[in-house]
Amino acid sequence: MSFSPDSYLTPPLTRWSTLWYHQLATDPRWLGALEASLLIAVCTSVLSVLVATPAALAMHQWPAAPRRGLMLFVLLPALLPPTAMGCGLLPLFQRIGLWGTYHGLVLAHAILALPIAFLILQSAVDERLAHLEAIAAGLGASPRQVFWKITGPLLRPALATAAIVAFVLSLNESLVSLFLTTADNETLPALIWPQLRYAPTPVVAVASAVTTGLSLAALPFLVRRIVTR
Amino acid sequence: MTRSLRSGWGVAPAAVMTAIGVYVPLLLLFRLSLCAPARGRGFYEPGSWTLQNYARLADPLVARTAAFTIVFGLTVAAVSVALGYASALFLYRLTERGQRIGLALLLLPKTAGLLATLFGIQYWLDRGLFAALIGEVYFVFPYSVLVLFAALRRIDPDWLGAARGLGASRWQIFRRIVLPLSRPALLVAFQLSALWGLGSFLGPLFLGEPRHSTLSVEFHRRAFEYGEWPLAAAEATLLLGLLLLAVVGLPSIARQPPRRTP
Repeated sequence: MSFSPDSYLTPPLTRWSTLWYHQLATDPRWLGALEASLLIAVCTSVLSVLVATPAALAMHQWPAAPRRGLMLFVLLPALLPPTAMGCGLLPLFQRIGLWGTYHGLVLAHAILALPIAFLILQSAVDERLAHLEAIAAGLGASPRQVFWKITGPLLRPALATAAIVAFVLSLNESLVSLFLTTADNETLPALIWPQLRYAPTPVVAVASAVTTGLSLAALPFLVRRIVTR
Repeated sequence: MTRSLRSGWGVAPAAVMTAIGVYVPLLLLFRLSLCAPARGRGFYEPGSWTLQNYARLADPLVARTAAFTIVFGLTVAAVSVALGYASALFLYRLTERGQRIGLALLLLPKTAGLLATLFGIQYWLDRGLFAALIGEVYFVFPYSVLVLFAALRRIDPDWLGAARGLGASRWQIFRRIVLPLSRPALLVAFQLSALWGLGSFLGPLFLGEPRHSTLSVEFHRRAFEYGEWPLAAAEATLLLGLLLLAVVGLPSIARQPPRRTP
């Protein structure tokens, strides 16, 4: 049904060689893009989880109608075509000077990841959590203690899942990045893109293999979460 | 700290970020579509107001692209849902370990990233409409599987056991219990797939021939190759309009009651 595309390289690579890996490791442009992608992915992960968590926690106590409204508001962007998002973000970023910067990309990726992080976290904030928090408070725990000893640990799996998903999302993000990257802030997918289109070399496959490898590491965690809910 | 997070202010960062990051750009996009193209340097003429971009949308090329987008998008959606439902049913009947492996396989292309996946498909299939379709379906159908699988898991297994005990065949159980209960989820899966399908970009761009351009491909080209940003914005707005139609219109079509009354 599915296969790892990067294991099918263009015919010349019937001879296994690390030549292309070597090229990737020494070409400053590719290295820069790799470093940028990793850095941006980590920042995106942190930012989106930091923003999504308080929202998920706060929303839980709301009555049904505003809650549904908020969910729609936050989740709707996930359904928009990334190309349209990129098209809209570019003029905005240009005007506020974020176009072509790393900060801008982090922000953009976080915006993309936020709905999904939010979705993951809000499904973890449920009655049980509120109940346990109330019990702890009733037993005399300060709000700070409740947070660190009850809320935090109970949310940890969801936090980890959201962080990992955001990381993978950012690493592989190509569509919006296409609109927002310049020579100054290339991410790996942005660099792969024109290469894939106009001059495919095995280096592209190697770069893809790198992102795939990193993302694959995250896969077992995600799958376990989905099946054993 | 918990109390202040819970009081509602915790929502502020997320709401602000979404508003500024998504809704404002969309408004700006719409505003841009009403600008005149730049006469000198720059992307557009700031401060101008014109409907000429929308007039140019009536151009047969754009109309054909829009029509193709609709047909292509809905086809992708239909195939994705069909494939997704079949996969979900298959997964449903596996053991928990089998399900875990199945889902991992399903999500594997997602972790490889869109570009790597395209790379793989390019190797196997020649450029063409079929390749573009397969590519997009490949991107889209995992979401249908997730939605439909979740819905299938919500079906009370006691009902299935009871039906079997009453002597129903597997086909009857499917047709009379599973299928009707899946219908809302099927609609959601179709809508979701349609949204992705109508916005198809990478599939048609890399795997299709130039005449198989969808609206996404078109406005990307308009923006980056022709530099006509206001027109690109108008095309993007058109696409968003189509998406809105899909979200609003599809449920009403599905809910049409039978016309004939005895």
